[in-house]
Amino acid sequence: MSESNGNSKKRNVGDQDLGLYFLEACRDREMKEEGMEEEEEAPRELNTINSSGGFVVVSTDKLSVKYTSVNLHGHDVGVIQANKPAPTKRLIYYFEIHVKDAGVKGQIAIGFTSETFKMRRQPGWEANSCGYHGDDGLLYHGHGKGEAFGPTFTSGDVVGAGINFAAQEFFFTKNGQVVGSVNKDMKGPLFPTVAVHSQNEEVHVNFGQKPFTFDLKEFEAQERMKQQLKIEEISVPPNVSYGIVRSYLLHYGYEDTLKSFDVASESTVPPIYIAQENRSHEQEITYALNHRKTLRQLIRNGDIDTAFDKLREWYPQIVEDNTSATCFLLHCQKFIELVRVGALEEAVKYGRIELTCFFGLPVFEDLVQDCVALLAYEQPLESSVGYLLKDSQREVVADTVNAMILSTNPNVKESKHCLHSYLERLLRQLTACCLERRLLNGEQGEAFQLPRVLSSSKRGSC
Amino acid sequence: MSLFWLVIRQLAEIEAMAASKKVITREEWEKKLNDVKIRKEDMNRLVMNFLVTEGYVEVAEKFRMESGTEPDIDLATITDRMAVKKAVQSGNVEDAIEKVNDLNPEILDTNPQLFFHLQQQRLIELIRNGKVEEALEFAQEELAPRGEENQSFLEELERTVALLAFEDVSNCPVGELLDISQRLKTASEVNAAILTSQSHEKDPKLPSLLKMLIWAQNQLDEKAAYPRINDLSSAILEDPTV
Repeated sequence: MSESNGNSKKRNVGDQDLGLYFLEACRDREMKEEGMEEEEEAPRELNTINSSGGFVVVSTDKLSVKYTSVNLHGHDVGVIQANKPAPTKRLIYYFEIHVKDAGVKGQIAIGFTSETFKMRRQPGWEANSCGYHGDDGLLYHGHGKGEAFGPTFTSGDVVGAGINFAAQEFFFTKNGQVVGSVNKDMKGPLFPTVAVHSQNEEVHVNFGQKPFTFDLKEFEAQERMKQQLKIEEISVPPNVSYGIVRSYLLHYGYEDTLKSFDVASESTVPPIYIAQENRSHEQEITYALNHRKTLRQLIRNGDIDTAFDKLREWYPQIVEDNTSATCFLLHCQKFIELVRVGALEEAVKYGRIELTCFFGLPVFEDLVQDCVALLAYEQPLESSVGYLLKDSQREVVADTVNAMILSTNPNVKESKHCLHSYLERLLRQLTACCLERRLLNGEQGEAFQLPRVLSSSKRGSC
Repeated sequence: MSLFWLVIRQLAEIEAMAASKKVITREEWEKKLNDVKIRKEDMNRLVMNFLVTEGYVEVAEKFRMESGTEPDIDLATITDRMAVKKAVQSGNVEDAIEKVNDLNPEILDTNPQLFFHLQQQRLIELIRNGKVEEALEFAQEELAPRGEENQSFLEELERTVALLAFEDVSNCPVGELLDISQRLKTASEVNAAILTSQSHEKDPKLPSLLKMLIWAQNQLDEKAAYPRINDLSSAILEDPTV
């Protein structure tokens, strides 16, 4: 008896964890509907405090700079940095200058410098800096001797400087065309920098507030394509995608789709053959397939009462604890469905009976409050808690029930394995690898984001 | 340099490499994995994209009903595309060409290579069916003029006509043209061209993502030892080898 007690207790703990996982998932969803990374702060204006005072005048919008004195030597350059370093968690950082007036000598430069850069020297002349100079078209990269690079630039030209974090390169543009690139061997924060060094030289800086002359989007697309071409050379075992799709359908109990998929892949020429060893693992997820399908349908149709009935009949252990996360999610859903059909009085009544006991409990509180908040709006779908009325909320509840049923399979050793399909595990691994690599790379480069991959479509080149 | 110093230097290098490589335990890695949020609807879209691109129209319809995921292409166009593909796969190339033109005449007009490959497939089918005279006539009238425009077409044409020179094609150097794989190759070329004309990608995204996973793991290998997934079909996390 003690043994069975221990068993049931252990299962309980596991079950709780599973339900809570989905509860968290639905809170995350609410906070980040788009699932995108938060943007880093990017430079927006010139830094007027840390500049070579005396030689230059910065306009009031902090986007123009003019050399007003007469230059005498190499240590009276008018240098000015952006107010923020270039953000690194992206593929490319880029900014542009428009040369309004090349002044007496046209000694204008654009580039990147470190935070401690000597503000009276041209970018590129000193260590940890890099600059493309207008008077000679040379690239200066850490010392006073430039290397052949590109054309000179002067009044009327638009010149750009960028960092390609994937290739670890600086690149420069003139009037919308790439001039060239150079290896980026500097670490740490890099500030967009411009320099003017003869009387009346004046440049205007564009940090992206206005459209760039250079087609940055196209450049980014090309850079991604370069990487993609390398990746496409890798080979994966044939039909592995079929197996992954099939196990996904199995995992989530999309039974009708699965049956149709099996029929279709048999009639494909040549027939799709999924290796036998994968099938053996499948037994675990074939478990209760029809029950899982039925419950998913009920929940997707908003018929929570019947879902509860079926669960009580088939898997009483899942709903026996009325305060479990799974029951909580189902009760919330019932409440949401009542709001959806406008049965507000009934919703209030239901909430009083089934939801009040969750108030004040840290993990449950957010969702209860959001549910109740639905009552406050005439147009709840348009409100900040409108996410609850979307199909995706039903899906989360259906996924919770699905995982709970999978975990009742006596062959499942660790219930956490019921949470994720193979597809999800692979995508998590992919994301984690990319994030970790970026972390070890000084947070440089863009992260993998499934939504971006999904919305991008390769150009129709064939 | 003596061998001794060479070995010492190599050892030092190995040591330096090992020291710079971060070791991430399974526990730490699983924590990182848990922080990753993958949205269900994105996975559904990925699966739908696979079904649609591979042309499983009935499956896509079922999946739409069961998961509420909208396909990124009109499902009706899949049926037409699959009919063309099937026609090529079963050797009815004339039929396939007609169907493609019904769908969108620009596809073949703007794609001479595809049109040539379809005509070549038609020639192959004639030879397969032993219609020697018809095959010769077709080659001379339809294919040879195209060969004049393009050197690689001409070479392909010569290779194909060579089939006629052999009594026993099963044993000839160009016998592979009669293989089922040639039909599949042509079929997938038409399939891709139709998808492109519908401004849809010609390949599903899932296989690319799997490749990306392998690539990302290889990249991270240079910097760290961490639990890898080596078998994509079972998605099992394997302990890091240190």
